Amino acid sequence: MVGVIFIPIGILSLLASNRVVEIVHRYDDVCIPAKYSTDKVRFIQSADLSKNCTQTITIPRHMKQPVYVYYELDNYYQNHRRYVKSRSDTQLQNGGVSNTQNCKPEQNLLGNASLPIIPCGLIAWSLFNDTYDFRDGTTKISVNKTGISWKSDREHKFGNVKPENFPNNLNESGVWIGGASLDVNKSLNEDEDLMVWMRTAALPNFRKLYGRIETDLQANTVLNVIIHNQYNTYSFDGKKRLVLSTTSWLGGKNDFLGIAYLAVGSLSIFLALVFLGAHLKNRRSLGDINYLSWNKKQQQNGNTRS
Amino acid sequence: MMNAMNVPSKRSTLERRLDMLILILFSILFIMCFIDSICSGIFINRKYWYLGLTSDVEDQFNPGNRFLVACLTFLTFVTLFSPIIPISLYVSIEMIKVFQVTQFINKDVKMYHKETNTPALARTSNLNEELGQVEYIFSDKTGTLTRNLMEFFKCSIGGVIYGKGVTEIEKAAARRNGTGIEEMESPAESHEKYFNFDDDRLMRGAWRNEPNPELCKEFFRCLAVCHTVLPEGDELPEKIVYQAASPDEAALVTAAKMFGFFFFRRTPTSIRVRESHVEKIGRMQDVEYEILNVLEFNSTRKRQSVICRYPNGRLVLYCKGADSVIYERLMERHNPFKDTNRDHLEYFGAAGLRTLCLAYRDLDINAYEMWNEKFVQAKSALRDREKKLDEVAELIEKDLILIGSTAIEDKLQEGVPVCIETLAKGGIKIWVLTGDKLETAINIAYACSLMNNGMKQFIINSDTKEIRDVEDRGDALETAQVIERYVAERLNESLRQAVESEQTQTGLELALVIDGRCLMYALDPELRGTLLKLSVMCKAVVCCRVSPLQKAQVTSMIKDGAKKITLSIGDGANDVSMIQAAHIGVGISGLEGMQAVMASDFAIAQFRFLTDLLLVHGRLSYLRISKVVAYFFYKNLMFTLTQFWFNLYTGFSGQRFYDDWFQSLYNVVFTALPVIIVGIFDKDVSITNSRKYPQLYKAGIENIFFRWRILIIWAISAVYQSVILFFFPIKAIEEGKNSSGRMLGLWDAGTMAFTCVVVTVNLRLFLACNFITRWHLISIFGSILAWFIFAFFYSGFRNPLDKQGNIYQVIFVIMGTWYFWYAIVLVPVASLALDFLHEGMRRWFAPYDYHIIQEEEKIKGVERDELLLVESPRQAPEQSLELTGLHGEMSKHTGYSFDSPCFDSFFASQEGVSMSQRSYDIARRASMRVSRRQSSDLGSDSPPPGHNSLI
Repeated sequence: MVGVIFIPIGILSLLASNRVVEIVHRYDDVCIPAKYSTDKVRFIQSADLSKNCTQTITIPRHMKQPVYVYYELDNYYQNHRRYVKSRSDTQLQNGGVSNTQNCKPEQNLLGNASLPIIPCGLIAWSLFNDTYDFRDGTTKISVNKTGISWKSDREHKFGNVKPENFPNNLNESGVWIGGASLDVNKSLNEDEDLMVWMRTAALPNFRKLYGRIETDLQANTVLNVIIHNQYNTYSFDGKKRLVLSTTSWLGGKNDFLGIAYLAVGSLSIFLALVFLGAHLKNRRSLGDINYLSWNKKQQQNGNTRS
Repeated sequence: MMNAMNVPSKRSTLERRLDMLILILFSILFIMCFIDSICSGIFINRKYWYLGLTSDVEDQFNPGNRFLVACLTFLTFVTLFSPIIPISLYVSIEMIKVFQVTQFINKDVKMYHKETNTPALARTSNLNEELGQVEYIFSDKTGTLTRNLMEFFKCSIGGVIYGKGVTEIEKAAARRNGTGIEEMESPAESHEKYFNFDDDRLMRGAWRNEPNPELCKEFFRCLAVCHTVLPEGDELPEKIVYQAASPDEAALVTAAKMFGFFFFRRTPTSIRVRESHVEKIGRMQDVEYEILNVLEFNSTRKRQSVICRYPNGRLVLYCKGADSVIYERLMERHNPFKDTNRDHLEYFGAAGLRTLCLAYRDLDINAYEMWNEKFVQAKSALRDREKKLDEVAELIEKDLILIGSTAIEDKLQEGVPVCIETLAKGGIKIWVLTGDKLETAINIAYACSLMNNGMKQFIINSDTKEIRDVEDRGDALETAQVIERYVAERLNESLRQAVESEQTQTGLELALVIDGRCLMYALDPELRGTLLKLSVMCKAVVCCRVSPLQKAQVTSMIKDGAKKITLSIGDGANDVSMIQAAHIGVGISGLEGMQAVMASDFAIAQFRFLTDLLLVHGRLSYLRISKVVAYFFYKNLMFTLTQFWFNLYTGFSGQRFYDDWFQSLYNVVFTALPVIIVGIFDKDVSITNSRKYPQLYKAGIENIFFRWRILIIWAISAVYQSVILFFFPIKAIEEGKNSSGRMLGLWDAGTMAFTCVVVTVNLRLFLACNFITRWHLISIFGSILAWFIFAFFYSGFRNPLDKQGNIYQVIFVIMGTWYFWYAIVLVPVASLALDFLHEGMRRWFAPYDYHIIQEEEKIKGVERDELLLVESPRQAPEQSLELTGLHGEMSKHTGYSFDSPCFDSFFASQEGVSMSQRSYDIARRASMRVSRRQSSDLGSDSPPPGHNSLI
C-alpha cells in the first residue's frame, strides 16, 4: 500500500527535480592571481588588491525565470556552537545593547565597552560579501535581491535597527579579515543579505540565496560573471561556488526526496511480494493452534516416536 | 521475635536487569561524549576565523589548550546527550505498577474470595513483573494446599466400593482424558463436618441389604470402637464434639456415627455406642463394649488395635492401620476379597485419598488371657517398655480378617489440583515443603496431581530400619555419620539414575521426596550441589518434616544456586522465613493469623488464585513492563543518537540540534503518556486465553521479552531510525529551496527532525502494542498533537523561554514548505519500515505463541473479558467419573496415611493439659533442634499437644 502511494510521489518529485536546470560553478580556486596561489590568505586579506574576477558560464538548457542565484560554501561551520549562539535576537529586533552577552567576542568594537556593536556577534561579523554581476555579452542582467529572506525574518525577527560600531571586516585587533561591511544607513530589516546569512545553516556545506534573475536565460547563452571575490574561505580551505538554478513546483533540484520515496515505495512492494511468495511456499494458516510451540513439540515427539 | 530474619527488601530481577541496562546506557553516553570531545579538541583551530578564536577566547574553545577544550566539551556533551538516560522511566514504571496493583490485582473479582470477603492484596508494587517469571513455587501444605480438614469419603467393605464422591484429582484426570464426563448435580451440601459420603446402599441402615451385612457391621463397629477419641459435650449426635489426636480419627468416628454407630461415651474401661438398625431397621440400642487393651499407634507400628469384649462376651481385636502392615498380618485363608480390596486401595491412593485398612480377629478367651499376662508385664517394664510393648502386640495382631478399607479425603483447598496442573503446564515447578510425615506429604502430592504413578520417585527418608537401629544405640555422632553417608549415597545414586533417564529420553518424569533430617545433611555444602542438580531435574519435589528454617534454606538454595525466580506461598507463621527468602512471598490471608501475610508481598485468599495472579497478572505485568523498558531504551537511545550524528557535522562543538525546550519536554510530554497507557493496558491475548493456554507463561520464565537479544533488536532499530531521522530531514532541506528559492536553516532542520522524531516514536508504539484501545489512540495522537500545539505557541510569539529566539516563527516557515509535508510522510514510514519488516517476519515465519493465539482470537472472536467486570467465579458443574478411568494408571501407591505427629503421647497429654496454641515459637524452637529425635516430631505444621514442656 505504501508502495502504491509512494512510488508515484517519488516519480513526480524526480520529474520535477529533473526539469530543474542547475549550474554549479566553483570559483574560489580560479579567482586567485597566480602569484598568490601559495599565499591565498594574504591575497584575500589585503585591502588594496583588486578582487575582481570574471568567469564565464554557459547555459546548457533553457532556464525559465526566475533563475535563483546562490552562493555555496563548504567546510564552513555555521552550526558550530560558539558561532550559533553568538548573536542577540533582542538586539536584532529592538536595537540597544542589552542581552548581548552571547555576542562575545564581537560585543564591543575593539574591546571598548563604550562602542557596543550593533548587530553584535560572530554571525553578523562574518557576513558573506562576495558579489556577482551577470552580463550577457555586454548587457547587464539585473539581479533582484529583494525577497530573498523569509518574510517572518523581515517582519518579526529583525527590526528597524541601524548598524552601529560595526567592525566592517576587521577583527578585534583591527586587522582586515575578508568579511563584509554594513551600511550604517540601511536598517537591519532591510538588509536581506544579512537576514539570509543569519539564518544559520544546519550543515557545514550550505547554500544561501543571493538573488533572482528575473529574465529567461536561453540555452547556450554565455554569461559573464564578474565576481567580487573578497570573502575569506582560504584560511580554512573552504570552497566557494556560484549556483544558478530554476525551481519547479516542488522547489529546487533535489533528487533526494524523490529517490527516497521511490526507494521506500519499491522496497515495500518488493517485500510484499517476498512475503506473498514465502507465504505461498510455506503456508501456515492463521490462528492454527497446531503451530503453538508446545503443540509443535508434541508433534515432533510424536513423529520421532512413530 | 528473636528468630526473625531481617526483612529483606525485594526488587524484581527485571528491575535489576534494568539497572544493568541503565549502566549500559551510561557507558554508551560516555563513549559518545568521549569520542566527540576528543574530536572537538582536534577540530578547534584558529583557521576558522569566523569563530573569533584569536583573542579573548573562553577555555572551552581555546585552541591553545586542546586538552582543556576536550575536557570542557566533554561536560557539554554529557548535558547534551543526557536524555539517553531515561530518568522518567523509573517514574513511569512506578506509575504503571501502582496502577496494576491498585486497579487490577487488588480489584480482580477472580481473586476475590466471597466467603471470607477477602480480595487479593498486593503489599508491594515492586514485584508485579516478577510474578510473570516464576519458575519455582514453594508451597506449604496445611492451610495452603489443604484445608486441614479430613472427610470420610469412600470405603470398601468386603470387596465393594461405596461412596459416590469424586475427588478433585479424579476430576482433573477426567478432564485430561476427556472421558467419562457426565453431568451430575453436586452431592448433598448439608453434610456433616468430617463426613462427605453419600451412598444409599449404606446409609440409614440400608447396608443390611448389601451382600455382606455382617462385614458391614464389623466395619462400623471397628470404626466406632477402635480409636482413641474422646467425646465432649452433650451425648447427642448433633451436638457431640470429638476430641481426636488427629483429624483422621475424628473423621472415622464421625463416619461411624453417620452410619448409625454413635460413639458417645468413653470410660477408662469401656466405650458406649448407640447402635441403630442392627437388629432391625429403626431400632436403636446402647451397647457397651469393654475395652480390654489398647495397642497404640506409633509411626513404626503404623497400626492401632483395640481388644474389646462385647456385652455377650465375644472377644474381638479390631485393628486399623496401613495396608502394608495389615496385609502382612492377615490370615492366609478366609480373606476372599483381599485382592479386590488391594485394587480398591490403589484406586483410592491414586485418587489422592488417605487409606486405612480395617481388620478384626475373634479371640479365644484362653489365648487372650495368656497374651494379656505378657502384655501387662511389658507394660510395667521399666526399660525399653515401648519396644517390649511392640513385641507383645505382634503376638496378637496376626491372623486378622480383613473387613475393608476407608478412604479419607484430606480436603484440599478448592481448585488446587487444577491450579497446580495449570501452573505445571505453564512450566512452573511446584515444591511442597511441609512439616507433615512422609506418607502424608506424598499423599498430598498425589492429591494435588503433583505426583502420579507414572513418575520415577526418589525417596530419601531417614526413617529406615538401618538408621533406626543406629539411633537405638544412642550414639548421636554415629547416627549423624550414618545418616550423612546414607544421604550422600542416595543422592548420588538418584542423580545417576536421573541423568541416565534423561539421556535415554524415556520421558519418565522424576520426583524427589526427602525428609527434613536428610535434608539437613543434603543441604551441607558438599552435598548441596548434588541436591541442586537432582532437584532441578525433578518435576516434583516434596520435602516433608522440614522446619521453617529449612524451608527458607531450600528456597534460598534454588534462588541462589539455580538462579531461578522463586515464589513461596504459605499461610502460617512457620512459613514466614520461607516467604521472606523467596523472590516473591505470597501469604494466604485466611485462617492462620496474619504473620504470613505481614511478611508477604502478595496476599491471596485461596491457593487457586495463584493461577490468576501468575498467569494473568504476572504474565501481563511482565509483558508490559518489559515492553515499556525496551521502548524507553529505544526512544532515548534513538533521540540521543540523532544529536550525536548532528554533532559530527558541527565540528564536535556540542551544538544542540533541537531547541532546549524540545529536548527537555521530549521525555516528559511528547512521548510520556502513550507508553504508560501501553504499560497499563497492553495485553497480548485475552485473559480467557491466558488461562486457557498456560504454556504462554513459559515466555516469562525464559525471559523471552526481556532478553538481551530483544534489547539488541530494539537498539538496532534505534540506530537505524536515528540515521533516517537525522539525515532524511536534513537532506530534504539541504539543497532544497521552496518555490521562492529561499533556504532553510539550522533550527528549521532541527524542528523538522524533531517533528519527525515525535511522530515516529509515537507511531512506533502501534507496532509494539498488541492491543489498541481508544486510550492508545487518544494518547498517541494526543502526544503528537501536543507537540504541534506546543510548537505553535512556542514559535508563535517571542517568549522568555526561547531566549535566543531561535525557534521564533520557525514552525510556520517550515510548514509553509513542501519539504516539511514530504518529510513528515516519508520519514516515519521509512524509519518504521525496518521494525515493520522485523515484526512481520517474526509473525509470519517464526511466530511467538501469542501471535498464533492472537490470530485464533481474531478468527474465532474473543469473548468479552474485561478484567474487572467478571462475575463471581462460576462453579464448575460436578462431574461423575467412571471408576475405570483411573484404573489404568495404578500401581503400588495405595495412599496409606494416618496423620498424627504425636499420636503416641496423646493420652498422656489429656490429663490437665490443654491444647497448646499453634505457635510460631514452638515450631521455630523445635526446628532448632530438629536433629534430635524428639523434636523432629515437632517440627511440623501442627505442634501437637503434650510438648508444652519443651517450651
